[in-house]
Amino acid sequence: MMDDLIRIEHLTKIYERGEVLALNDVSFTVKRGEFLVLLGLSGSGKSTLLRCINRLIEPTAGTIIFDGIDVTRASSRQLRQIRRRMAMIFQQFNLVKRSTVLTNVLSGRLGYVSPAASAIHKFSKQDIDMAMADLDRVGIPEQAYKRADELSGGQQQRVGIARALMQQPDLLMADEPVSALDPATSHSVMQHLETMNREDGVTVIASLHFLSLARRYGTKILALKDGEIVFEGLPTEIDEARFMEIYGEEAKEVEVR
Amino acid sequence: MKKPKKSKSARRYPLLDRLVVLRPRLSAFMLDWASWGYVAYGVMYLLNKYWYLRYVNFYGRLTLPAWAWPVVILATFELVMLSHASGQSIGLNLFGLKLLGPDYAPPTMRQRLHRYVALHLKLPFQPLVLFSDRPLGMLLHDGERAGCMFQVARIKDDLPPEKPGRWYLTYRGLCLAGLFGLTFWLGWKITAINLQMLVDRVSKSSHIWHDLFTPSFTYLTESVNERGHLYSITYYMMETIFMAFFATVTGAIVAFPISFLGARNIMGFNAVGWLIYSVMRTLFNALRSIESILMAVLFAVWVGFGNPFAGALALFLHTIAALGKLYSEQVEAVDPGPLEAIAATGARRWQVVIYGVIPQIIPSYLAFTLYRWDINIRMATVIALVGGGGIGTLLFYFKNEVGRLDDAWNQVGAVIVAIVIIVWILDYISARVREKIG
Ligand SMILES: Nc1ncnc2c1ncn2[C@@H]1O[C@H](COP(=O)(O)OP(=O)(O)OP(=O)(O)O)[C@@H](O)[C@H]1O
Ligand SMILES: [Mg+2]
Repeated sequence: MMDDLIRIEHLTKIYERGEVLALNDVSFTVKRGEFLVLLGLSGSGKSTLLRCINRLIEPTAGTIIFDGIDVTRASSRQLRQIRRRMAMIFQQFNLVKRSTVLTNVLSGRLGYVSPAASAIHKFSKQDIDMAMADLDRVGIPEQAYKRADELSGGQQQRVGIARALMQQPDLLMADEPVSALDPATSHSVMQHLETMNREDGVTVIASLHFLSLARRYGTKILALKDGEIVFEGLPTEIDEARFMEIYGEEAKEVEVR
Repeated sequence: MKKPKKSKSARRYPLLDRLVVLRPRLSAFMLDWASWGYVAYGVMYLLNKYWYLRYVNFYGRLTLPAWAWPVVILATFELVMLSHASGQSIGLNLFGLKLLGPDYAPPTMRQRLHRYVALHLKLPFQPLVLFSDRPLGMLLHDGERAGCMFQVARIKDDLPPEKPGRWYLTYRGLCLAGLFGLTFWLGWKITAINLQMLVDRVSKSSHIWHDLFTPSFTYLTESVNERGHLYSITYYMMETIFMAFFATVTGAIVAFPISFLGARNIMGFNAVGWLIYSVMRTLFNALRSIESILMAVLFAVWVGFGNPFAGALALFLHTIAALGKLYSEQVEAVDPGPLEAIAATGARRWQVVIYGVIPQIIPSYLAFTLYRWDINIRMATVIALVGGGGIGTLLFYFKNEVGRLDDAWNQVGAVIVAIVIIVWILDYISARVREKIG
């Protein structure tokens, strides 16, 4: 089907060290333009799933088809071309702390620029303008020449988003993008993801810890438990019983407003 | 699992598993044997020093008759068996083994005795254990009668909690204290430490002290002997500083790129990467363990005795190895998060290095390089001992002229003063710079 951006079939990941079965025969598809939210307890395999999609970790078995290309079989050259179309943002932001914000944003462009120029930190005028525009878009243009570790958590995550924007991606993967942020900042970061999703047509897969955020931003929800899919459906379909099933009997719903 | 059951099925466990189970025991045995051997050596040495045994030759060296060696070896072997049968030894302790009854109770006297006898009777047949079909927990004459040698890590949840006693009253504490005491005693004797001598010899060496503390700076800027290629203190000071500077800078420049080859996280986890990594690390370690003054012996023969080029080469080579190792450890310690993020944008691996690794390691690289510069300055002042050039050339020249020149000690004093001042100034500068970076 052409409107599937990602098709995952029988994806399994076993961590050799510790012999953990982190993903067990997971299959699902993500349509273009969807905002898919991953739910699940700590250790349920959310990060593992996201990292398998761009092969930051190698899946043990199964296939991942991204826009008709088999990611799991891609050569390292093909993989780079696939990776630049899928951006990723992280819970711990993963910025290079001692580099400037601008350099961090520009590094999102590394998959596109000429290798020789990038070796001496030379970027084209176009790329730099684009980086400034992206920083402007996430609301921190005045921070461009500061060192990344001088920024607050919320600002750092916006730098992460700007870096992702530089890739002009088809897919954005966000691994707990707001877990380290306060509720108000969380919403502003989530709104940037929503804008990318709605206006730029970027498909989003985000793992979240709050059901309220999932309901508010997600168009579809996928819940994992011990490496297996336990729920797949619309945000409105999650009720008390489903919630218990995902998070266990002890769980109580916490809201982020 | 209270009592390990005997299994009827033959050879259920692979050979490798058996080796894994047996390894700590073998290691404990060897370690204990070595430590008892050490104790035997120490005792013999001290007996020799204090009471002159029958087997002491004219020079006071211990010369045991040939038959004594097997006796010593067997006696220490016996001691190891005794300590293992009693369940108390440093080796067992350090390799996490504990002798207990099958029910985890402390071993009874009967069990210890049984084990002691069994150790002797079964000794020749021990290698056969690799082919036995006994369950893994029961390898090596473990059983109800001789107790079991448990791996503490595997059963610690089932053991009753030990109440913490005073460490020096435990067997391990006593043994370690005993070994430490013996080592200290031996060290005192072997290094011929004699405090009385310090006092007695003051008057005899006082004229040398006097000369050393009244340095004469005749050759501060004047050459000692131009035709003999002996120049002034200032000249050699410059030579020393530039030798160290050149070696540090070139060494750092070479070490920088190759340090990435010695970093696990950059080389990846495939076979080729692992091979390059191991080769680099081995090379660094091997080169580093040869002091630069030893390398200078080689280079002095090669490019000429007293040639500063020899010293510079030696320092350069040692700097590469030392900095290479320190640098690659820094590379391994970088935060992997940003590297992952940059790799995820579709960057090549070397782009990840340039944008992710290098910014993270620059400050510690600078600090290490400055630190190395300190070390090189110090080494450059004495590398002339083996013909490496630098200020030491004068130091050792005057030291050798002691009988022939009246003011030799005064000249030595002057050179020492010059060295101390220069090292002190450069130390201070690099400490301040490091402060600024860190
Ligand atoms: N590098 C690794 N080596 C071994 N096991 C791992 C590794 N990374 C994750 N695991 C294990 O895999 C399982 C899934 O981990 P994963 O990080 O994907 O969970 P998660 O859903 O992202 O959890 P969290 O919400 O805490 O981030 C866990 O049991 C974890 O212990
Ligand atoms: Mg996670």
